[in-house]
Amino acid sequence: MGDGQWWAVSLTEAVGNNKPLSVVCEGEELVLFRNAAGRAFALEDRCPHRRVPLSPGVLTPGGLQCPYHGWTFDGASGVCREIPNLHADERVPSRHAARAFLVAEADGFIHVWRGSGAPTGVLPSAAYRPIGREYSGSAVVNIVHGTYLETMLDGPECLLAFPGVTITDFFLGDPRREGEHLVLDRGGVWKGKGIGPAFVRDHPLVLRTRVPLAGGAIFVELLTAAEVPLVTIFIASTANRRGTTSLNWRGFRHAHHAPGAPFAWRLRRTAGRAPFEVLPEVKGKSIAALRVAPSLELATSRMRQGAECRGEHNE
Amino acid sequence: MSDIAIAEVGAADGSENSRQADWVPIHFDLRDTWFPVAFSADIGTQAVRRIVHAQPYYLWRDRGRLRAAEFRPDQLEPLRRSATAFTGGTGHYPVTERYGYVWAWYGNSDNADLALNPCIPFLPVDGSKIPRYTQRTVRFDAASPLSVENLIDLTHADFLHANAIGDGRCESDIVEVQSTSETVTRTRIVTRKSVAPVMRWIGGVRAKYQDLRAVLHVHLRNNLAISYPSFSSGYAIPNVQPFVPVGRHRSRVDQTNYTVAAPAPFRWLMPRISYVIQPQDNAVLRPQNERYFDADGRRDLSSRFDAPGNRYRLLMRRLAERQRQGDFSYAADANPSADISVVLGMNG
Repeated sequence: MGDGQWWAVSLTEAVGNNKPLSVVCEGEELVLFRNAAGRAFALEDRCPHRRVPLSPGVLTPGGLQCPYHGWTFDGASGVCREIPNLHADERVPSRHAARAFLVAEADGFIHVWRGSGAPTGVLPSAAYRPIGREYSGSAVVNIVHGTYLETMLDGPECLLAFPGVTITDFFLGDPRREGEHLVLDRGGVWKGKGIGPAFVRDHPLVLRTRVPLAGGAIFVELLTAAEVPLVTIFIASTANRRGTTSLNWRGFRHAHHAPGAPFAWRLRRTAGRAPFEVLPEVKGKSIAALRVAPSLELATSRMRQGAECRGEHNE
Repeated sequence: MSDIAIAEVGAADGSENSRQADWVPIHFDLRDTWFPVAFSADIGTQAVRRIVHAQPYYLWRDRGRLRAAEFRPDQLEPLRRSATAFTGGTGHYPVTERYGYVWAWYGNSDNADLALNPCIPFLPVDGSKIPRYTQRTVRFDAASPLSVENLIDLTHADFLHANAIGDGRCESDIVEVQSTSETVTRTRIVTRKSVAPVMRWIGGVRAKYQDLRAVLHVHLRNNLAISYPSFSSGYAIPNVQPFVPVGRHRSRVDQTNYTVAAPAPFRWLMPRISYVIQPQDNAVLRPQNERYFDADGRRDLSSRFDAPGNRYRLLMRRLAERQRQGDFSYAADANPSADISVVLGMNG
């Protein structure tokens, strides 16, 4: 049995059938594209002929054509189907192939399997079930992926914003392990209500962040104190190049009434404005000032999870 | 005076030997050759700095006399003691002027010999009457050997440069490759090709088709590419493209498109086509060069259309290996200064 991981690397709508899309997953450059029937494919963004990126290439009925010399690669297998100007009786050797990745498209995301062996486990987006209008986006943020995940536990207010809501740094207990995630709740208050979070007897809102122990699937929920969900966000994160992080997200506002919500919150809802923002730029000063707290648990939990996996394999 | 250390310059991580099996264009550092480091017309009394591989060349004229040194003129005396073996410890490189270029020696200065200066038969040797409009400087975002390979490679033009050079449609297209231990010569004979857009719209060629005989002659040590493409209907566009290595990531080309025999305005505008072609090439060369630094061990795949480029790769590796063994001499089949008029097909 090999090791591997599903990664959500793109929003579904970002990949059309007229132009390839270049993405980076765990530092590796990939190219995503669709055939005329709409099926999505992923290849390493590197032509095995002369190493140039395939993503500026052209989509043809045979696959993706390299922009440099016109070699055309089949999306599913990566095999080179055509080299321009070969005679009709000449065949392209089967070893002439780009690296192909298994692709699964679900829940508004394109996932690729990276690793050895057959794919296992559920897709990262499987737990994301939108109800109502969605808000989505993509960004590359100037922060190392591992630090992004840690910050999502220690200071999500550096990475996210909810208009009309102040996220506090008062953790409601320690992080707890739920499946493949480390989960942490923290208090939140409505802006413009009362004289500030320090004077609130009980936080009217809860921000729940679920940070993965492996992979990049982050879930964020804004809840009422009674744990009624108001907003749910799924953020697919992965390491980009040079210490940056790629983000693709979808989120939605639940139909539940938000008791005590200020007028601005209700007005945004009526106007159809997004109830959250995944910040496309992070402030280094804010992140540098964050104290390391709940993220201390990440390393321990990952070690435990790794031991569990090894134990399962030994059985 | 420090020695010329081949292995150190070739690969900072010392991994060169382990990579000999594959083509690693970033690791070639061939010695004992003349590099055309500047247009003669660009060198005046103010020193200009050029780089060959990792070696600095300061060029200026002192009371009319051309100078090439390792240091700026004002630092020459204080720093002379740290001069390298490239200048024999003097701080001054062997230097000469021919064909409108300043040629500086790269290697053991004791071996500098004007008889090794390449012949460019369509340019006046003394550089006189070479119009400035024929001279352009372009920069390639790749090591010199990778840029030269791009020039040798014909099949990419149909994809990268179709808007400027034309599509690949023709009646027949024959490519031949010849080589010595120091040169590669690629001859391409195309009949009834569609006329290149630049020649149709600027050059006034109204014929539907044209024939092409294009000879490219590449000197391996200094990446000097001498080309003689002759179009009928149309004109010859003899040109020189010296790919001077500026480190392992970039190359500088002071090119001469000697279009003096072509009608105006084509002869003025044609040399500027480099500004169209070069960004198209750089779009692929830049990421390509980076990936030759990868140590994943995957070798490039090839088709039969890569034969000229693969010949170039093989000869470069052989020459580099010979120099690695300490042999910097020119073999009996090599004569860089030989008249190549016939090789280029200049006499029809």
